[in-house]
Amino acid sequence: MIPHDILTLYSAKMLEYGIAVLFLFLFIPFWRYVQGPAKVPAFATARSRTPVTRAAEWFLTPADRLFHRGHAWIMGGDDGLVTVGLDDFAAKLVGPFSRVSLPAVGASVGQGEQAWRLVAADGRSVDMLSPVDGTVVELNPALAASPALAERDPYGNGWLMKVRPSRLRANRINLLAGRAVHRWMEEAAAGLRGHFAPGLGALAQDGGVPVAGMARAVDPEGWDRLAAALLLTAEEDSDA
Amino acid sequence: MKLNRRTFFKMAGAAGAVALAPTTKAAAATNAEVLDAARRGVLVDTTKCIGCRACEAACAEANTLPGPAMLDDAAVFTKPRKTSTVSFTVVNQAAVATPARFVKRQCMHCVEPACASACLVRALDKTPTGPVVYHKDRCLGCRYCMVACPFDVPKYEYDSALPYVKKCTFCADRQARGEAPACTSVCPSGALTFGMRNELLDAARERLYAKDSPYVRHIFGEDEVGGTSWMYITDIPFEKLGMPAGLGSYAYSSLTQASLAAVPFVLTLWPPLLMGIYTFSKRRNEVGAHGSDAREEADHV
Amino acid sequence: MSSSTTATAAPARSWASDKLFLGLPFWEYLKSLATPGNFLAGLIMAIGVPLIAYRFIFGLGAATNLSQTNPWGIWIGFDMLSGVALAAGGYTLATSVYIFGLEKYHPVVRPAVLTGFLGYLFAVLGLMADLGRPWNLPVPIFFSWGGPSVMFEIAWCVVLYLTVLGMEFLPPVFEWLGWPKARLWAVRMTIGLTVFGVMLSTLHQSSLGGLFLMAPTKLHPLWYSPFIPAYFFISSIAAGLSMVIVESALSHRAFESRIDHKTDINGIALGLARGASIVLFAYFFVKLQGVADGGRWALLATPYGYWFLVEMLGFILLPSMLFAYGARHSHVTLVRWTAAWTVLGIIVNRLNVSVIAMNWNVPDRYFPSVMEVMVSITLVTIGVSTFRWIVNRMPVLNELPEYRDSASH
Repeated sequence: MIPHDILTLYSAKMLEYGIAVLFLFLFIPFWRYVQGPAKVPAFATARSRTPVTRAAEWFLTPADRLFHRGHAWIMGGDDGLVTVGLDDFAAKLVGPFSRVSLPAVGASVGQGEQAWRLVAADGRSVDMLSPVDGTVVELNPALAASPALAERDPYGNGWLMKVRPSRLRANRINLLAGRAVHRWMEEAAAGLRGHFAPGLGALAQDGGVPVAGMARAVDPEGWDRLAAALLLTAEEDSDA
Repeated sequence: MKLNRRTFFKMAGAAGAVALAPTTKAAAATNAEVLDAARRGVLVDTTKCIGCRACEAACAEANTLPGPAMLDDAAVFTKPRKTSTVSFTVVNQAAVATPARFVKRQCMHCVEPACASACLVRALDKTPTGPVVYHKDRCLGCRYCMVACPFDVPKYEYDSALPYVKKCTFCADRQARGEAPACTSVCPSGALTFGMRNELLDAARERLYAKDSPYVRHIFGEDEVGGTSWMYITDIPFEKLGMPAGLGSYAYSSLTQASLAAVPFVLTLWPPLLMGIYTFSKRRNEVGAHGSDAREEADHV
Repeated sequence: MSSSTTATAAPARSWASDKLFLGLPFWEYLKSLATPGNFLAGLIMAIGVPLIAYRFIFGLGAATNLSQTNPWGIWIGFDMLSGVALAAGGYTLATSVYIFGLEKYHPVVRPAVLTGFLGYLFAVLGLMADLGRPWNLPVPIFFSWGGPSVMFEIAWCVVLYLTVLGMEFLPPVFEWLGWPKARLWAVRMTIGLTVFGVMLSTLHQSSLGGLFLMAPTKLHPLWYSPFIPAYFFISSIAAGLSMVIVESALSHRAFESRIDHKTDINGIALGLARGASIVLFAYFFVKLQGVADGGRWALLATPYGYWFLVEMLGFILLPSMLFAYGARHSHVTLVRWTAAWTVLGIIVNRLNVSVIAMNWNVPDRYFPSVMEVMVSITLVTIGVSTFRWIVNRMPVLNELPEYRDSASH
């Protein structure tokens, strides 16, 4: 070791301790930033042409949310509000949106009732059901500028709105959590596969990525009816 | 055990040996002193050097090297020279106008040489009597010794397809025969004194601290980089002699000791640490899989 | 280089055709080699290999700009130091997957181990070009041991680690050869090899930095620190993670026909980026500590100080932030470019320590000769070509179906 004189050491050591403490203070927020809420979609390349043949693991279902059968989710916050969004299945089903028509701030929403509309580039639209009862308190400002966020990052920056729930405990009975979500998602994907299979020949046993705009890939003419059926907002269907 | 003469002598001998054998501490001290006492060195008194370069010529002859260039030409001193693969020692003129001072440069044969500590095959090897010798057959030519040496002494035969490191050998073979190094034996002015390092230090101090002595009161090489065999005294500032500045008194081998001391710790601690993490993560993955299976059962019901 | 077999009239393909020539008959295989990439590689090697011979015939002085003042050049700074640092993906990924159990990264562990193995192999070959007497390589292993030398420890570690990496790569080799029993034996060693490999990597990654401890008067004080070994070790982790991100991105494009398309390569890149950002963040502060410890603040206002700040801010802190941002917002492209930048930053750091900030205060400075640069490029080219040869034949980027569900590694 190169020897230091004691007088330099006094200030050098205090500085070193200072830098170490500074690092520790900075490390905690940095770690949390890096881990981040945004989780990686199972398959980010949404433009592949291979059809879906494997199910649930292709749609992301974060563990900290509750899901509604209409493919929307809620996540509780500390302030008594819940954040509401659409899930990965709905995002991939409908594909890139040109607009998301959300209810106005202050409007009431009901669980199982039509709440917002996804408008695609070709002008067709699909409605989605609200997962909770309550009052809309805030809309995601980023969506006005960039509706694609809801499709790209449905669980993170693509959240739709914040709602003050009026009957959360009752609503939760109708919401799915944990492993039940996986089962439900598998059934949804199986239902989707049923639409794919007739139109295609022999498929590879493995491989395949969910296509953005899966509904359109299956049925270009009537995809909005297909999507509405899967999202439980078709005309004949009444709410859950 | 029968107490006959043989057993008596045995016991007496054993007791005597125990009594005479020094304690561990004392033994260590004696060991260091023994080492110190064996060291040879050279005292270079630059006030006496006349710049005749007989030392260069003798070195070339003893090592079968081409003779020094410009032997009778004073213009050789206009620029300081460095040693090379074909000249193991050079005499330079100090950067002062008057008086004319000359300094002989060569390998310092450090007490704790950086080059020997750096050499991974002990091609450069320190001998107990002082010379740092080169075993050329071991050398890989990695040139780490050149990076390590604070005096930039080792020179490499870059132009050869079978290159070696070249430097002053302190005439280790002549010393083994009981002779002095070639350079010190031809010095006409007494600038070079070969002898036991301890005694040379004493002699140097006598000169330095004599009344009205002109010398700078520092023996270069007494402590620099842990001490060197070749030591210098002078009456002008040492930087003017061209000696490198900023060399601490720590031996270079101490610089890597902490790093190397960690090796046995890593070898001992890493396996249990890593296997512990492995076991923990394996168990956690298994529990995760089983736990989810259990919950799946519950969902079915 | 996709393997397309035309319907063969002959019964079974020969072993050589199947294993070596991508299932093609020999002449077809040779014809298939005529691609632009191969032409470029061939051109480089046609120039470089004779240069290597020239260096050995006429000596280092004829081929390099090395001098008595500058004994180490880019063959040490780039081929050896940077090569070993960038090959650290082998041990970092093996640890992540096999020790920490992060199965998510399983798809990239084999290419990482292969990159590691080839990286070390070619670092050693670069070293052999640099050594004056490379035929004496067995001496520090078998004959004469310079224990106090850091270089000695490195020599042993590298020899042992090359063996470990080679053995870690045996499972895909045996799968390629179709020897399931041998493969099973090789797979069982994986944990032990990984632990051993991490140990060796810790030692020699740090010791490569430790070499420079012996040059306190020659290395610029901002880079010289008693903590250089820690710097080298920590930065090797970031280097390995970044290199895996870059290599997997290139491989997935270059070998598209071979990869398993189910692999979430983007998710893997983002996960690795998360790790790299944390490591770089810590590395920045560790280096900052070194400056404080030496009391070197005033030096930051010198030309070398500015260059040091460029390294610290541009090549360490900036990529740390970019990785963090990219990982958080799932910007895979940003992550990949940041990884490439980090790889460059590691090379810059290793060159700084060995060549640029070394002998900074001496008039006789070193600059690589054209031949040195060409030889380095040649060695890298041979390494990349070897990587391609292996990946095109062995199950590195994909899994063979018969082994998919076995106790796999």
